[in-house]
Amino acid sequence: MTGEPEPLVHGTLMAGFAQACINLNIVAGPGAAELLADLDVERWYPLSRWFALEQMIGATYQHIDPIRLKLGIEMMSLWYHRGPGHDIIRRGADFLHFQTGSTGIISVIRGPRELVGSFDLREFDAAAGRAVIHSTTPFHRKIESGVLIGGLLAPGDLDYVDVHDDGDPDLLIVEFH
Amino acid sequence: MPRLEDVLEQGDAARVHQLPREALERLFWKYQGLRKQVERDTAFWQATNETLKTAYERLDEQERELARAYQTIRQDLEIAQQVQHALLPKQFPDMLAQLDLAVHHKQLTEVGGDYYDFFRTRDGHYAIGMFDISGHGVSAALIMAFLKAQFMQTMEQAASPKEIVEWVNQASLGFLREVRRYSTVNFVVFGERAIRYVCGGGYGVLVRGGEIYTFSKGDPFIGLRRRPYTEFELSFDADDLLAMYTDGLVEGKNAAGEDYSSRRLNALIREHAREPVGDILRRCVDDYHQFRRADTDDITLIILRRRAL
Repeated sequence: MTGEPEPLVHGTLMAGFAQACINLNIVAGPGAAELLADLDVERWYPLSRWFALEQMIGATYQHIDPIRLKLGIEMMSLWYHRGPGHDIIRRGADFLHFQTGSTGIISVIRGPRELVGSFDLREFDAAAGRAVIHSTTPFHRKIESGVLIGGLLAPGDLDYVDVHDDGDPDLLIVEFH
Repeated sequence: MPRLEDVLEQGDAARVHQLPREALERLFWKYQGLRKQVERDTAFWQATNETLKTAYERLDEQERELARAYQTIRQDLEIAQQVQHALLPKQFPDMLAQLDLAVHHKQLTEVGGDYYDFFRTRDGHYAIGMFDISGHGVSAALIMAFLKAQFMQTMEQAASPKEIVEWVNQASLGFLREVRRYSTVNFVVFGERAIRYVCGGGYGVLVRGGEIYTFSKGDPFIGLRRRPYTEFELSFDADDLLAMYTDGLVEGKNAAGEDYSSRRLNALIREHAREPVGDILRRCVDDYHQFRRADTDDITLIILRRRAL
């Protein structure tokens, strides 16, 4: 069988997601141990493994979007307060540039461009507290929204952050003040 | 002018109007931010609660299923208990003409592993077998039914306890090994003025003229190995007393962890050997009940005396 090679997701993202699940008690007990078992933050994993993690959560909850959003926020809180985030960004708005740059979300997924997609900062207006991001990554938009909210709020200088779309699910409209 | 952080920290509402326009704007966004956070948290907890509700409903259903399954198991166990009781012997009137007999048989659970039976050998002698089948429950009851069938069949083929037990062991070995079960055996045949016995793991004691003779119990259990059994003979005349029992009785422990012990039981039997067998049996059972903290195994005790002819 021929075809595109499957995209790979970095272990840090997998472990961050798994740890967020545990912190929010989305999974507990033996399930939590299994979730973290053999996850190596130095390794790359097939994207299908990421989807398996997501589906495991999705299978538990009837209304999964608020859970996805919260997981994204928690992941970035962990990244900032227990990971390297604190040394990388000083202000909340910096996160938008970081996450849409070459060291952001694109750095934790690799593979054919058409499968990996992109995460671009289309508009950024600091004075108006508004930004627009165009995302075509394979990650769920609610998780990405949570990641943006969590990353923007983590430094503590912003009082208000929200992410929504105006009908196009790939356009994430960020409001921050 | 006051700083927004100071006003909020001090909780001084009267100073809010002194805040500059910029600080009031920040206050507005802080409020909006908190509203958003509450909105997100509320949605999260609602989703979690809905899942919990569903989980509880599933748990309730599983509990009901478990209760139904438990009920089925209870009914099956009751039937197994009835079957096992039906397999235990009915006393032969002719046998009672020769022997005074008292039996205490108590199973730890609905279905137990202790089994005793009365037989008549090919040459017309009465015999008593006592067995302790490994394990408890339905599996032990099934083995008991199997052993009973084997002994019943063997009575037509053999007469001496050695022949009978060897025959049964030979016939049962393959099956018992396959199901990983075995059984102690204590098999006594009553002659005119003596008993002959084979004993592998069981307990027996004979009291005659104030002297006590304990069974030699070194033979193998049924179902363990293909080896010849040893037959012993003891005189057993009128007024002589015989007791047979399983390990559940003598291995019962008191609060200090000490065994009730065959030494204590044998001494009690010897001391009261001239009393009616029913009285001796009650003394033994009462003494055991006073001693032991809790039953941990099936218990069988048979006491019998040769009647004077």
